[in-house]
Amino acid sequence: MPSKIITNALKEKRTVLTEIESKQLMSEAGMPVIESGLAKTKAQAIAMSKKLGFPVVLKIVSPDIIHKSDSGGVKLGLSNSAQVGRAYSEIMAAAKQAAPGAKIHGVSVQKMASPGVEVIMGMSKDAQFGPVLMFGLGGVFVEVLKDVAFRIVPLVRRDASQMIREIKGYPLLEGYRGQEPANITVLEDLLLKLSDFIDKTPEIKELDLNPILAYSDGAVAVDARVILESQA
Amino acid sequence: MSKVAESTANKLDRVFNPRSVAVVGDKRAIGYMWLRSLIPFKGKVYSVQIDPNELPGIEELGVENYLNLMDIPGPVDYVIASVPRAVAPRIVEDCIQKNVGGVCFFSSGFAETGTEEGIRLQQVITDQARDAGLNLIGPNCVGLYNPEIGLRHTEAQAYGEAGPVGFIAQSGTQATLFSLVGQHHGIKISKSVSYGNAVVLDSSDFLEYLGSDEKTGIIGMYIEGVKDGRRFLDCLKNVASRKPVLIWKGGETEAGARATASHTGALAESGVVWQTVTKQCGAIRVECLDEMIDVIEALLYAKPGTGNRVGLVAMSGGQSVAVTDTFAKAGLDIPLLTEASYKRLASFFDIIGGSYRNPLDISSTFFMAANGVSNLNSMLDILDKDPNIDCIALELFPAVRPLNNDPETKDPVLEAVSDFNKRTGKPFVVIVTEAYSDALASETREKLVGRGIASFPGFERAARALKKLVEYYQFHPEQSLVEAG
Repeated sequence: MPSKIITNALKEKRTVLTEIESKQLMSEAGMPVIESGLAKTKAQAIAMSKKLGFPVVLKIVSPDIIHKSDSGGVKLGLSNSAQVGRAYSEIMAAAKQAAPGAKIHGVSVQKMASPGVEVIMGMSKDAQFGPVLMFGLGGVFVEVLKDVAFRIVPLVRRDASQMIREIKGYPLLEGYRGQEPANITVLEDLLLKLSDFIDKTPEIKELDLNPILAYSDGAVAVDARVILESQA
Repeated sequence: MSKVAESTANKLDRVFNPRSVAVVGDKRAIGYMWLRSLIPFKGKVYSVQIDPNELPGIEELGVENYLNLMDIPGPVDYVIASVPRAVAPRIVEDCIQKNVGGVCFFSSGFAETGTEEGIRLQQVITDQARDAGLNLIGPNCVGLYNPEIGLRHTEAQAYGEAGPVGFIAQSGTQATLFSLVGQHHGIKISKSVSYGNAVVLDSSDFLEYLGSDEKTGIIGMYIEGVKDGRRFLDCLKNVASRKPVLIWKGGETEAGARATASHTGALAESGVVWQTVTKQCGAIRVECLDEMIDVIEALLYAKPGTGNRVGLVAMSGGQSVAVTDTFAKAGLDIPLLTEASYKRLASFFDIIGGSYRNPLDISSTFFMAANGVSNLNSMLDILDKDPNIDCIALELFPAVRPLNNDPETKDPVLEAVSDFNKRTGKPFVVIVTEAYSDALASETREKLVGRGIASFPGFERAARALKKLVEYYQFHPEQSLVEAG
């Protein structure tokens, strides 16, 4: 049985899950995801921020807005209630301007993650070979340099281990110039967990966990995007 | 899984090792190429041809002709059909009635033309063959080559002696070229197949068959596309864990324009996915015919090894620099030798007109020295014993006297290199560049490979082949060497 998140979205004839839904789904799959919640009003956003602890990040939650930061829908490093309140208003105004008529669920409030090495894990489907898992360093490394490695699902430990070491930026994960090294075993475990989940969840068409912050003692995904197969 | 797939390996045994072959539609216009290719065939050969104008030519070749496949008195294991496409469905029907082992359609003009009639005819013969469980190879291909029994697809192909290399090619030209070029590189074929449009039997079927064929130790593949990716993946994983499989994917640069909404989707285009499949299964990816030939030659003749560090020996200062650059660019290391090696080298090495850090520039110590051959032996042995060195590459000039002397007299350089090749436990490759004379260089290389020495026409090709060999054994440290045929 697929997760309720998937069945609900398909019932509503949606193939793009919201960030909150995507994160919940990943959390159900056993992936570490940053704690966050959905606030539908400014007051809820402030209350939630206090509960999670400052600093926080606010992001627009809308099934119609995929590129959140391009449309002014992301505010980082908010360290008190006043900043959260102002950010909420700005995000709503920007969303209305950038995407008039877009359906808006509210904002996601999440704890600001401590800095780590940014990595990306993702999946897409190849017409011939089915689900393909990707690993790379996040940000400019994936977008500009395309420094990524792939493996066909399902992965075994050797695949996970090799694909992490295959990228050119691997030395950055080992701790470059005094930066905290990433725990490679943790990343391997996450790739295997993700592979296992994808193998069991054919409803997913594409997926990005970007970025995942990798630390010496763990990792946490701070954003997730899941796209479902459209049902015929 | 189709009826064909279930027991393909067993069913293909009959068609790959036929005792009788029928050629349908061979004719003067193509020089009776099929019947001629079958002149050395060890079993029965029949012709099926209804055009009376063609009969004298067929008779001249001493082949019995029949007007219909059904009229052939004995069983027919393999049919080669070279007929106009419109006749194909009738031939397929006859093959089914005759219960043949399999049929290869040389005929083209099917779906590859993109025409309505071609697509329709292809669907017709596909359905016929699938329903009846007929082993149909092609259409639009040249089918099988089994040199041991003289089953060929062109007169130029060798026969009589088989080797350990299997080849599976979607293109007929690549299958033919591989067999012809391979002959000059010490590559002898066990069985090969070209399978064209792959409407019934696809690459996975042939990979499965050659994977379980005891006479095949290495498999090369030229693939343009597969029908069932997951089956291919499982099959490749399975076979590549037992024997080296090389994959040359045609059409890799084709842009895979697809609408995607994720980073992952945008980056995972088809060429990258094929590279991933090859890597993940522990197969070897090659990018052209030359590389296919080179890596197979290295696997056949060089010893297995998992280390990246190469000891280089070149015939001059300039070549030392060039070979070092090329091997380093290919991802191999050229380390310093141990102090013990340097001490031994210092005892006899002539540093006027030479040097021995690594690379070893041996012009004065070998090329110009009276006791050059014994010096060469010593130098190679030092590299062989040096723990800093995993692989050895030696450049030879084709004109080095007396390598190309009268074949009756024993050639001391060839003997020395050949003896070293036998006693070294490390991957050893020889490079004879074409810089001086193509003909002389290739003659020298053939002589070397004839003595079981992996030899290459240039630094790039040697470096690339050695790198692939090392990567292969790094992935499969347990795999032992397949003996050269």
